[in-house]
Amino acid sequence: MTPPPESLSARTIVPPSRSSTGHGEASPYGREYWRSLAEREGLLGAGPEFPEGAEELTSVDRRDFFRLLGASLALAGAGGLSSCTRPPATKVVPYHRVPPELTPGNALHFATAMPLGGVATGLLVTSREGRPVKVEGNPEHPDSLGAAGILEQAHLLGLYDPHRARQLKQRGSPVGKEHLLEALTMRAARLQERRGEGLYLLLEPTSSPLLQSLRERLLRRFPKARVFATSPLSEANRAEGARIAFGRPLQPRQDFRGAKVVLSLDEDFLEPRGQKLSYARHFFETREPGAGMSRLYVVEPSLTITGMSADHRLPARGSDVQRLAYALVRRLTGLGVAPALEPLSQAAKSFAATPGKAHRFIDAAGADLARAKEGAMLLAGPRQPPAVHALAAAVNYALGSARGSSPLVRYLSPPAEVETGPSALRELAADLRAGRADTLLVTAANPAYAGFADLELGRLFREVPESFYLSLYEDETAPSCSFFVPALHPLESWGDGRASDGTVSLIQPLVEPLAPGFSEAELLSALIGAPAPTYQLLREHWRAAREDFERSWEEWLREGFIQGTAAEASAPEPKLERVAEAMREAAIRPEEGGLEVAFAGDYKVHDGRFANNPWLQELPDPITKLSWDNAALLSPRTAEELGLETGELVRLSYRGRSVEAAVCLAIGHAEGTVTLPLGYGRSGAERTAKGAGFDAYLLRPSDAPWFGYGLSVERLGRRRELAITQEHWGMEQRPLALELALGELGKAEERLSKLRGAEATLHQPVDYSGEPYRWAMAVDLNRCTGCSACVVACQAENNIPVVGRDNVRKSREMHWLRVDRYFEGEPDSPRAIAQPLACVHCEAAPCEYVCPVNATVHSDEGLNEMVYNRCIGTRYCSNNCPYKVRRFNYLHYNREKSPTERLAMNPDVTVRARGVMEKCTYCVQRIERKRIEARVEGRSIRDGELRTACQQACPSQAIVFGSLNDPTSRVSELHRDGRRFDLLHELGTRPRTAYLVRVRNPNPELG
Amino acid sequence: MAAPSESALEGFPLILGKQDDRTLTQSLFAHVERKATLGWWALFSAALAGTLLLVFAIATTLYAGVGTWGNNVPVAWGFGIINLVWWIGIGHAGTLISAILLLFQQRWRTSINRMAEAMTLFAVMCAALFPALHLGRPWFAYWLVPYPSTMGVWPQFKSPLVWDVFAIGTYFTVSFLFWYVGLIPDLATLRDHARTRLRRIVYGIFSLGWRGSGRHWTHWRAGYLLLAGLATPLVLSVHTVISFDFAVSQLPGWHSTIFPPYFVAGAVFSGFAMVMTLMVPARKALCLEHVVTLRHLENMNKVILLTGLIVSYGYLTEHFVAWYGASPYERFAFANRAGGPYAFIFWTMLFCNVLVPQLFWLRWARRNLWVMWVASVLINVGMWSERFVIVVTSLHRDFLPSSWAMFYPTWVDLSLLFGTISFFGLLFLLFLRFVPAVAAAEMKELNHELAAHPAEAA
Repeated sequence: MTPPPESLSARTIVPPSRSSTGHGEASPYGREYWRSLAEREGLLGAGPEFPEGAEELTSVDRRDFFRLLGASLALAGAGGLSSCTRPPATKVVPYHRVPPELTPGNALHFATAMPLGGVATGLLVTSREGRPVKVEGNPEHPDSLGAAGILEQAHLLGLYDPHRARQLKQRGSPVGKEHLLEALTMRAARLQERRGEGLYLLLEPTSSPLLQSLRERLLRRFPKARVFATSPLSEANRAEGARIAFGRPLQPRQDFRGAKVVLSLDEDFLEPRGQKLSYARHFFETREPGAGMSRLYVVEPSLTITGMSADHRLPARGSDVQRLAYALVRRLTGLGVAPALEPLSQAAKSFAATPGKAHRFIDAAGADLARAKEGAMLLAGPRQPPAVHALAAAVNYALGSARGSSPLVRYLSPPAEVETGPSALRELAADLRAGRADTLLVTAANPAYAGFADLELGRLFREVPESFYLSLYEDETAPSCSFFVPALHPLESWGDGRASDGTVSLIQPLVEPLAPGFSEAELLSALIGAPAPTYQLLREHWRAAREDFERSWEEWLREGFIQGTAAEASAPEPKLERVAEAMREAAIRPEEGGLEVAFAGDYKVHDGRFANNPWLQELPDPITKLSWDNAALLSPRTAEELGLETGELVRLSYRGRSVEAAVCLAIGHAEGTVTLPLGYGRSGAERTAKGAGFDAYLLRPSDAPWFGYGLSVERLGRRRELAITQEHWGMEQRPLALELALGELGKAEERLSKLRGAEATLHQPVDYSGEPYRWAMAVDLNRCTGCSACVVACQAENNIPVVGRDNVRKSREMHWLRVDRYFEGEPDSPRAIAQPLACVHCEAAPCEYVCPVNATVHSDEGLNEMVYNRCIGTRYCSNNCPYKVRRFNYLHYNREKSPTERLAMNPDVTVRARGVMEKCTYCVQRIERKRIEARVEGRSIRDGELRTACQQACPSQAIVFGSLNDPTSRVSELHRDGRRFDLLHELGTRPRTAYLVRVRNPNPELG
Repeated sequence: MAAPSESALEGFPLILGKQDDRTLTQSLFAHVERKATLGWWALFSAALAGTLLLVFAIATTLYAGVGTWGNNVPVAWGFGIINLVWWIGIGHAGTLISAILLLFQQRWRTSINRMAEAMTLFAVMCAALFPALHLGRPWFAYWLVPYPSTMGVWPQFKSPLVWDVFAIGTYFTVSFLFWYVGLIPDLATLRDHARTRLRRIVYGIFSLGWRGSGRHWTHWRAGYLLLAGLATPLVLSVHTVISFDFAVSQLPGWHSTIFPPYFVAGAVFSGFAMVMTLMVPARKALCLEHVVTLRHLENMNKVILLTGLIVSYGYLTEHFVAWYGASPYERFAFANRAGGPYAFIFWTMLFCNVLVPQLFWLRWARRNLWVMWVASVLINVGMWSERFVIVVTSLHRDFLPSSWAMFYPTWVDLSLLFGTISFFGLLFLLFLRFVPAVAAAEMKELNHELAAHPAEAA
C-alpha cells in the first residue's frame, strides 16, 4: 500500500466553500467552487514554483528530518490511515459557510460525461461530501438514456487508482511543472521558425469541440506539423465505408425503434458502452413478445452479447463474414425485391459461394429482410472491411430503412476524427523511421503497447529528440518518451465532447485533482503559446462559440449537455457503382492454410486502458465468464482437433512473432479461427493489471488489424489455471433460465403456471398485505443481454470488495449480483441465455432458520436482511441457500485498500470485515433514502421513483423493482405477467424476485 | 504366559492365566510406574511435532481468517465440518462401551472401557476445536451460548448449530465425569504406590481422598451406574443432533430423514474402529494381552461388522430414496457422488465401509491381529471419506449449475486434519503414561467374579 503524498489526501478533504473567494465571476452559490479550483490548478503563474509536495522534501533540515522521522514512526503505528490523518499542508477553512445545495450526509449529483473512442457519454455522478462515489447514466443524454455501461461505471475507480502516475518526469527523474512548460515553450519557439516542421502529434481521437479548436489553432501556428489520431479499436472502417457509398466519411446512427428484422454482420451493437446504451434500450423496445416482435440474425466469429440475444446466429470466421455479406446481396437480388442492387450482385458473383448451413441461413435471413422492407436493418461491424459497410449502406437504402421520411439508419458527419486506423500509425512510423520528427506529443492511449507489432512505435519514439507523453499511468509508452506528463482523470478535469448524434456534453470535475496532472487542452495551449487552465480555455471556447453563453452556461452544466446541438442527420443515396467497385476490389482472400486469427476488443479492459481497474478485471467476461485473464478463444471442435483444452498454455505464432497464451474453449465460436482479446499482458507500472493474461498486440500486424490466416498453435505442455466463475454451461434439464419460441408461448402457459404461485406448506405464510410496501423485483430475461452493467453497478453501490485472481479461482468472488449464462443445443450452434441472479428475498427463506445467531432476518416489508454486526460466519446460510447468492468474506478483502480507494466507498453501506456473510439487500439504503424523502414530503414512495443500482444501470431495462402492495406498480404488472416464473419454485421459498421467460422469435424457415 | 486356551462352550477367556489382585495390580499399573520407553518417546516426539503443526495451523486460521482453508461458495463447509463429524463419531465408542455395555452387563467391556473412554474424551476435544475455528469470526463463538446478553439477543434456537453446542457440551461433560469417576479408585492405587513425593501429591489430589472404604465403594458404584444411565441417551443424541446439521437443511444429499440413525451407527462403527486401531498395538506395548484378549478383540470386530452393516443399509436406503423420491436434484446429487469429480472418494468410502467389514464374517479374520488392525485403519479412512462425501460432494453441485465449483483443501486444511490426529495421539500417549490404561479395580472385581462363577464369564 502506498500512501499518497499528503497534498493529495489533504485536497480531498477540502470543503467546497474554501476557495469561493476572490476568483472567478461573482456568483453567490457553489458553482464558482469548481471554477476557482480550476483556476487554482492553473498551469502558469498561480501555481507554486515547485511541484506539490516538493517543498517538504527540499526544505528538510536536520531538525525537521528527525521530527519527521519521529512523526512517521508514530504514525506508522496508526496503520495505513496515517497519511490521511495528517493535517493538510495547505491552508484549510472549516465548514462554516456551507454551500446551500450541500447538506452533509446527503448526496449531490453532477452531470458530466466520459469520453471514450471519440464519443462522450453523458453521466450523472453521485458525490458524497466532495467525493464522487458512483457513476450513473444521465437520463436526458441521448446516448445514455440513463443507463451506464461497465466501462463508464468502473472508470470511477480509475480516479482513485493508487497506481496512477503522480509525478511529472523527464527521462525518468522527477521534474517540476515549470520545467515542462519551459521545455514546451522553447520547443514551440524553435518549431515556429520552421513553421512546425518536425512536430508530430499522436492524439487520442476526440469529439471535443475545445480540443478540436485547439488542434486547429495549433495547426495555424505550426502549419507543417503532422497530427495523427489513433485508436487500437478504431472504427475507421465505418466512415471509410460511408466514404465509398456517399463520397464523404459519415457516421451511421441507427434508430432501432422501428426495426423489424436486423441482420448484424459482426456488429456487437448491444455492447454496453457509449451510444450502444441507447441502441440496447431502443432495440429491446421492439422485442416485446407479440405480433410486432423484431427478429435478430447475427453472423460473427465469436459469441458476443449481441449474439447471445440473437434469434438466429451463425458462427463464421471473420473473413467469411464478407463472403456471407456478398451472398446476402445475391440473395436479395435473387428475390427480386431490390433490383437496384444488381450492380452489387454482379460484383459479388464470383465471391459469394457459401457452404450449406450458411447458405440456408443467408437465404432465410435475406428473405426475412426483404419482407421487412423499411423495417430491415443490415449492420456491419467495425472489424469488417469498408466494402461491407458500403454494402450495408446500399442494402439498407435499397430495402428502405435508410431512406424516406423516418429512416432507421441515418448518417451524420463524424464527431471525432475518422482516420484512426492503422494507416495513420503507419504513416507516423514511416516519418519517425526517416528521422523527420523533432518533437513528438503523444496523448493517445499507450501507443507503444497498443500500436501494431510491426511498427515498433516504442523504439521509434525513443529516437525522437524530444517527446511528451500524457497519460494516467506510467505505462509501456512512458519510458519511450523524454517527458512523462501525468494526466488528469475525466472526473477531475474540465472538458467537453460530443455524443454520437453530435450533442455537446460538458465534462465537469467532481473533485480537485487527487494528484497534480495536466489535461490535453493545457498541453496543447502551452504548445500554442497561450497556456491557460482548462477551465478558462473551455469557457473562452464556448463564449466565442455560443451567443447565449453567459445565460446558459450553468444550465448546460446542470443538464450535462447543450440542448439542440445534435448534428444534422441525413439519409443520402449511395452510389452503387462505387460500392460495387469497392466490393470487387476488396478481394476476399482465398482459403489460406492455417488457422484464422481474429483480434477483438475486450468487454472489460477495452483496448487495455482499463486494465488496471480491479472491478473490471474481476468482472467475469459476459461470455466466457473468465476473470483476471484473457485467453485464446477457440471452438470446442477446433480445440479437439488441436488437442487442446481450457487452461492449457500454447505458443501462438503468427507472421514470425509469437506469444504464450492460455487457451479457453468458447462455445459458439466459429471453427478454424482463434479469437485473441486485446488489452491484457500489461508490463507498465499498473500493478493490478500485471500478470493478467497475454498481450495479443504482440501479434497484431498493421496491414491486417483484425483478421488473418496463418496462425500456428503449439502446445507447451504447461497449464495456467484460469479464474472462470462459471464452469458448467448446461442447465441439466432443470427449469432455470427459461426460453420459449414466440409460437410456444400460449401452449406453455399451463407449464409456466406450475412454476409460480403458492406451494403447499404446513406453515402459515406471513401476510404482508397490511404493510405499506412489499418490495419485489422482476427480471425480464427477454430484455437481458448478459452485459453485466448491473454487476458493476451493484459493486459500486454496495462497496463490494475485489478478491483477486487467486480467490476467484477458489470461487470466492463477492459479486452480490452475478449473471449466469447457460448454453443449450449443439456446441457449434448453441443458444445462450443470460440470467442475472442476486438474492431473491424468499418469503420463506432457507437461510434464516439455520442461522444460529439471528444474523439474517426478515423485515416487515419482506426484505431478507443481513445483520453484519451479528454474523459470526458459520456459513450455514450459504449452504442452505438454493440459489447460492450469499457471499462470504473469507479474508479481510477490504484491508488492502489504499487511502484513495477508500474514498470511493459509499458511506450509506457498511464496509464489511472479514468473516461475515453478505448478499444483495435490494439496495436497502436506497429504499431508506427514498422513505425519508417521502416522509418529509408526507407521502408514500411512488412507483418508479425508487430504483436499485442494477435496475438503474441496465441499458435494456430488464430489471424492475417496486412494491407488490401497489397493484398498479410496474413490478406488480410483471409479477402478474403470463411469462412470469419463480426460480426453483418447487422448493417453496416464495422468492420476491420473479423472472419473465425469454422469448425467441425464430424464423420458421430455419426451424 | 500361558498359551490361550479355548473351550467350545465358553469361548475365549476374558482373563488369561491365573491372576490374583497382586498380579493384576502389578501388570496393570506397570506401564505408569516404570520409566518411559524409547518407543514412547519416539511416538511422543512425533505427536508433539504434529501438535505444533496444529497450533501453527490454528494460529494461521485465527490470524488470517478461515480463507486460509479451501472453503468457498458453494462449498462453505469443508474439512472443518468433516473433521468435526469424524472426531465426534470416533468419540462414540467410549460412551457406548462404558455406558450401554455396562447397563447390559457385558463384562468383556471392563478391560477396554478405560481406553475407550479416554479416547472419547480426546476425540471430543479434537472435534470441539472445529466449530469455533471454522467460524468467520471465532472470537464471537460465545454468541452461540444462551447467556443474558445486555443486547437482549439470544441465539436462534431453530438452528441446529445451537443444538450442536448443547449436544457436544453435554456429551463432553458427561463423558469426562464418567471417565473420571471410573478412574478414582485406580488413581488412589497409584497414589498409594507412588515412589516420589510429587506423584503422591498429584495423584493424591486427583484421587479425591479415596480410601476404598465400603461406603466409598457403595457410593461409587451407585454414581457410576447413574452416570452410565445418563450417558446412554447421549450415545444416540449426540450424533443425532450432529446429523441434524445436515438433515434440517434442504440441500439434496443432506435433506434426509435417515440421517440420525445412520449417523449414530456410523459413529459407533468408526469409534470401534479407532479403539481397535489403538488397542491392538497398545495391548502389546503395555503387556496387557492377558486382560485384553482375543475374546475382546473378536467381540469388538463383531460390533464393527454389525454397525458396518447398518451403515451399508443407510447407504442403500439413501440411494433408494433418492431414486424413489424422483426429485431430479436428489437423483443428481447421488449420481454425482458415484460418477462426479469426487467419485474416487465415494468408491473409497464404499470399499472401506461396506466391503472391508465383511471380512469379519470369517473367524480367522476376526482373530488375526494384522487383519483387524489394517481393517480398522481402513474403516477410519472410510468414515472420513463418508463425511467428505456428505459435506463436500453434496455442496459442490447443488441446484443451480451456474454456482457449481470444486473444493480443494489447502495446506492449512491438511495440517488441521493431521494436526488433530497428532494431538489425539499426544493426549493418548500421555494418558498411557500417567493413568492406568485398564480399569484395574473393575478388573480385579471381574477376576473375583470369574473365579467364583466361571460359567458366567460368557
